[in-house]
Amino acid sequence: MPFTPKMTRPILTQRIPTPPYGNPKDRRVISYAAYTASGGYAGLRKAIAMSPDDVVNEVKNSQLRGRGGAGFPCGLKWTFLPKPDANGEGGPRYLAINADESEPGTFKDRLLMDFDPHLVLEGIAICCYACRIQTAYFYIRGEYHHQARVMENAIREAYEHGIFGGTGLFSGASTKNRDTPWKVECFLHRGAGAYICGEETGLLESLEGKRGWPRNKPPFPAIKGLFGKPTIINNVETLAHVPSIIENGAAWFGTMGCESSIKGAPPSYGTKLMGVSGHVERPGVFECDLGIPLRTLVEQYCGGMRKGKKYKGAIPGGVSMGILGPDQFDAELDFDIGRKYNVLGLGTAGPTIFDEDTDMVAVARNIARFFKHESCGQCTPCREGSGWLYQLLSRIEEGNAKSRDLDLALEIATSMGTMSGTTICGLADGNNWAVRTIMNKFRDEFEARVKPTFIPVGITLGGAGLGGTGLQTGVMV
Amino acid sequence: MAWITKNSAGMKVERRSEPYLTPAMRDELTRTVLPRYEQKQGALLPALHMIQHEYAWIPSQAMQEIAEFLGLKAADVLDAASFYEEYWLTPRGEHIISVCRSIACEFCDHKAVTEACKAKLGIEVGETTDDGTFTLIEIECLGSCGTAPAALVNEKLVENATAETISRAIDEARATPHHHNGRH
Ligand SMILES: Cc1cc2nc3c(=O)[nH]c(=O)nc-3n(C[C@H](O)[C@H](O)[C@H](O)COP(=O)(O)O)c2cc1C
Ligand code: SF4
Ligand code: FES
Repeated sequence: MPFTPKMTRPILTQRIPTPPYGNPKDRRVISYAAYTASGGYAGLRKAIAMSPDDVVNEVKNSQLRGRGGAGFPCGLKWTFLPKPDANGEGGPRYLAINADESEPGTFKDRLLMDFDPHLVLEGIAICCYACRIQTAYFYIRGEYHHQARVMENAIREAYEHGIFGGTGLFSGASTKNRDTPWKVECFLHRGAGAYICGEETGLLESLEGKRGWPRNKPPFPAIKGLFGKPTIINNVETLAHVPSIIENGAAWFGTMGCESSIKGAPPSYGTKLMGVSGHVERPGVFECDLGIPLRTLVEQYCGGMRKGKKYKGAIPGGVSMGILGPDQFDAELDFDIGRKYNVLGLGTAGPTIFDEDTDMVAVARNIARFFKHESCGQCTPCREGSGWLYQLLSRIEEGNAKSRDLDLALEIATSMGTMSGTTICGLADGNNWAVRTIMNKFRDEFEARVKPTFIPVGITLGGAGLGGTGLQTGVMV
Repeated sequence: MAWITKNSAGMKVERRSEPYLTPAMRDELTRTVLPRYEQKQGALLPALHMIQHEYAWIPSQAMQEIAEFLGLKAADVLDAASFYEEYWLTPRGEHIISVCRSIACEFCDHKAVTEACKAKLGIEVGETTDDGTFTLIEIECLGSCGTAPAALVNEKLVENATAETISRAIDEARATPHHHNGRH
């Protein structure tokens, strides 16, 4: 069935020319002046005329799901914060914005930071107002040097124009139900090259000036987070959706994206930034309805497969998600993808596409090396398992492995992760799903690379004790 | 950030009389960084960035100075600093070339880029040129997968990198003195 887009105009990329709506050559960094001149900060203005609870409810009703990988309902997360006291306060509480974007194959938050920083800042301001938060930390990965400068500059502009700091949001405009304005501070905090700091509690540790070791949960950050205080953690793209939801209403958001095809499962509403990489003619970030089939994305947005080659497989959104096989090119990119196509999930919706010439054993080895490198070392199954998997896959790639190594690799992979209950964070699940699905969906490629295993079988000829000869033989499997 | 066990016992700290954490840095930390965090340790990563930005690496003496300044144990500073891959706790070249080796880049031929760097600089991955000008490393995803292969030359991103463009970027870095190479 051909796919018909439901979005009629770009939302997140309304100021960032992106095909098919605009030409990337026309992209400019949107300044505060340009942002407000094109309707920016109207969502925040509307939000502060609403009660904080109404803002939370609007976001909740929109069914916006987190864009950082897990797809957790954003508004629902906001309600997990302890209720503020009668003054609308409740002691310090924090917002940490996750701009760590380090999952291989993921480069979508960067587009927003590169060109439309105020869209993200507006989302931050609205979240802080709604959740009664006065301090927000923008945690950006260390390698995003340019993006850190753009964001730093935009934050400075926002301070100068009375969005942050000073006497309160909008230079101390009074807010609904309260005569006192709501004041928000926003600080940029640079990471220093550690993928694990994208995991939300690793991020909090890093903000506290410690090594980025993920924490055991519970307690969840909404109760006990940064410096032990209630903390909300949201992805950049998630927050960038908030201004337009407040401006246009929850129902409007539901006109884009798709319903779930699984009974009782929540919908995948709204648009999504999809960063396509790998063997396509025109890779890049595109804004699409959730639910767009991978094939449509590749053929209609990316100019098809590179050099007319055939599609072989794709990682739906970051290497943690596992792989879509040759027969899954029509998979719909929405939050149901995990249950329907035997992958971990949609992840960051940044598909990496492989053509027919790709060596899938090398793909598995590359991913295994990444996880071995990035395991923080706290949990034994992850620290040791990631190393073993990398070694085994390297041996398979080099042709030095035996067929039983395939089962060993699968067994190690399967034993790792929060789902199997052996680790603190989801990094090991990613390792597990990536290796397991690649090996299972491309099993023949792996089998072709290994030597048969010789299993010795002892056979005794002649009666025991009658001087019979022991003979060694065996079977090849 | 991989799991590495180090022999820290009996560590010798080389010293110089001039502090690494200059009065200007202390001033900046006090005025703008410390007030941002509920606990002083929050300023640790910013302080480490400051040192590395200035000296291109983080000497042990500097870590001790930071510890003292933030009221932390030197061990806490080392513990955090040694965790993060971006921090260099041993000296490195004046310029650093980081070629991405992750999924999109490897399968869009990052090898050509690494090989071009190796040939041009006469070093292997992980090494520094004899004159101390360049260090070459391979790192994980730079968030530039749509324009793979990607590499960083100091803080400058080279997208759709080829042997030619990376070679040119190396020449540009060489022609730019230390304090103007994007770190300052
Ligand atoms: C190993 C690991 C790495 C992660 N990296 C990121 C990341 O770089 N950016 C991000 O937004 N979320 C990342 N996440 C997900 C976060 O833990 C968290 O779910 C997310 O930031 C919540 O925001 P959202 O609800 O708005 O999506 C990672 C999770 C794991 C387990
Ligand atoms: S699962 Fe791996 S990365 Fe996550 S906390 Fe455990 S050791 Fe660290
Ligand atoms: S894989 Fe190289 S930049 Fe992402």
